[in-house]
Amino acid sequence: MTRKNGETKVSASHHAAREIIVRGIPASPGIAIGQVHFLRGDVAAVPPRKIAPAEVEPEIERLERALEETRAAMLRSRQRAVAMAGTAVGRIFDAHLLILEDQELQKEVRGRIAREQFATEFIVYDTMGRTIELLEKQKGELFRERAMDVRDVRAQLFRFLQGGQDAAPENPDEPSILVAANLSPTDTLHIDRTHIMGIATDLGGPTSHTAILARSFEIPAVVGLGDISARVKSGQTLILNGNSGKVVIAPTAASLKEYRDKHKRYQRLLANLAGLRDLPAETSDGHAIELHGNIELPHEVESVRTHGGTGVGLFRSEYLFLTREAPPSEEVQFEAYFKAAEGMWPCPITIRTFDLGGDKLHPGQSALAERNPFLGWRGIRVSLSHPDLFRTQLRAILRASVKKNVRIMFPLIASLWEVRDAKKALDEAKMELRQEGIAFDEKMPVGIMIEVPSAVILADQLAREADFFSVGTNDLIMYTLAADRGNEMVAKYYDAYHPAVLWAILETVRCGHKAGISVGLCGELAADPLATALLIGLGVDELSVSAGIIPEIKKIIRSIRFADCQEIAARARELPTAEEVRTLLEEEMKRRFADLPIWFTTEG
Amino acid sequence: MVAQEVTLKNKLGLHARPAAHLVRLAAQYKSNVVLVKDDARIDAKSIMGVMMLAAEKGASLTIECQGEDEEELLAKLVQLVEDKFYEE
Repeated sequence: MTRKNGETKVSASHHAAREIIVRGIPASPGIAIGQVHFLRGDVAAVPPRKIAPAEVEPEIERLERALEETRAAMLRSRQRAVAMAGTAVGRIFDAHLLILEDQELQKEVRGRIAREQFATEFIVYDTMGRTIELLEKQKGELFRERAMDVRDVRAQLFRFLQGGQDAAPENPDEPSILVAANLSPTDTLHIDRTHIMGIATDLGGPTSHTAILARSFEIPAVVGLGDISARVKSGQTLILNGNSGKVVIAPTAASLKEYRDKHKRYQRLLANLAGLRDLPAETSDGHAIELHGNIELPHEVESVRTHGGTGVGLFRSEYLFLTREAPPSEEVQFEAYFKAAEGMWPCPITIRTFDLGGDKLHPGQSALAERNPFLGWRGIRVSLSHPDLFRTQLRAILRASVKKNVRIMFPLIASLWEVRDAKKALDEAKMELRQEGIAFDEKMPVGIMIEVPSAVILADQLAREADFFSVGTNDLIMYTLAADRGNEMVAKYYDAYHPAVLWAILETVRCGHKAGISVGLCGELAADPLATALLIGLGVDELSVSAGIIPEIKKIIRSIRFADCQEIAARARELPTAEEVRTLLEEEMKRRFADLPIWFTTEG
Repeated sequence: MVAQEVTLKNKLGLHARPAAHLVRLAAQYKSNVVLVKDDARIDAKSIMGVMMLAAEKGASLTIECQGEDEEELLAKLVQLVEDKFYEE
């Protein structure tokens, strides 16, 4: 959500000494209030317990049984992950199986039990602990991830040594916020969704498996909170805002009431909005808007449908790189794209080709670190410099288009030649498929993401090369204003309502419409209720937001007149500062939507 | 014992999936296999051992095989490295 930035990272509230606010990375939207529930992601240190020589054999038998049960549980986890999120995510569990089945490791554990005569738990803990320690000493993120894998395997093996089950052993019985240093894929997959209202972790970024699975489960989550797991106590109350990335530790009675009221109003609103599901997203004077959903995992099309979305405006394909290994094969990609296309049919889905930074292609090669990654090797640039990678993805997308409801779009376009080269690669992929006799949609629409200022300046020319535009506001704002909102020192310079940003959106719409193509908007601004009337007034044809927000935006669209939107947009365009634009919109929206708690999502 | 030095040519080096290929192949044979890189000697039938080796693209390794099917295994392992672990 768009918000005023500039909060300090850790600050005691002025109102009460005990309330502490910690800021992290918003990973999955929504508000959650609950008690701290620690997930013991790792097993606690096990003291060595001596066993008698006669116990050696039963101990080893116990180990064998646990190994067998753990193996079966991992296969179940993999199946579950594949069913929910596809083969690419299921692969995470292949790595676990390999570690569990490591013959050397098993031999070592058996040998040590016999030689040293300690209970199995201690020997397993200690033997795997040495590996974890060694891996953690290595440089590079990949080794830390492998260490996490070994930890995860050890924790699972422990569950079965102690007669446990697949899921995390201690699920809470009241509304809770899961707090952990880091969540393993297994933990995230087995979260008890009836009692876990939110997730807060010390580590992780917006594309970590925790973030992706949390969004997919629609559980609010904040990651990258630093040392939150060390700062909170079990049973303490937390407020977690997955929209802004803010976590309030030990909130005051006043804060708690404020959030509870908001939460209640929000829930009531959602209940009311459910009735809008099958109604079109059109203004009261009949101007229709395409209201679509953004997704990351194929099965999320279900959520887009149930929330009343009529298409997918942005399918981020990067999740296929989740396991950070070799690029996903054509089959794995096809399976994912086709599942989404089929699930949404006959509504359209828009697949964005890989929007990767250099680091995600070459795991373990930190030497590639760029001085200026946002101005570096990312988006379409990566695809154009990796023809094989690009070709594989284009073929997979084309094959998934067979039912004629797939659109493709290219990220980070800055020049016309990039579009031409990308389209040339697409034509070559088409030719191959024709020669192989594989069916696809010959007329699959090709779109361009408008997120670099040069693309706005050249929009007239780009429009002739494209079937549609999609404005990616997050990057467009960053590049237009030269401000990284992730950097606290300059976050306040990043402002979606800056007049230059409004001009860029308007110019893109003007050029797109002149060429007769539609213009969508899929950044976070599309999900900001404050912006809806303005964006429609500026002429945007399509808004794409995360599924949960669709009903709220639809309600606003259905409650306003297009003529009023145009008037608001015309007035906003005349204002010289972002502050004045925001004030205008707040006044207008409050006046028109007194009954809607639309301020909910915009607040930090 | 037979041995041969190889250079890793695949993009990812001996990371998870290539490592898994190598371990699975080695496990099908009776001979013992040791991978030698600098001062480190590890058992190639252990995924954890291979991961610990942290071999990147361009690294040189010596593969040592010892046992009744050592010749065939060494040939297969060298082939796997030459074929870039079927990664590309």
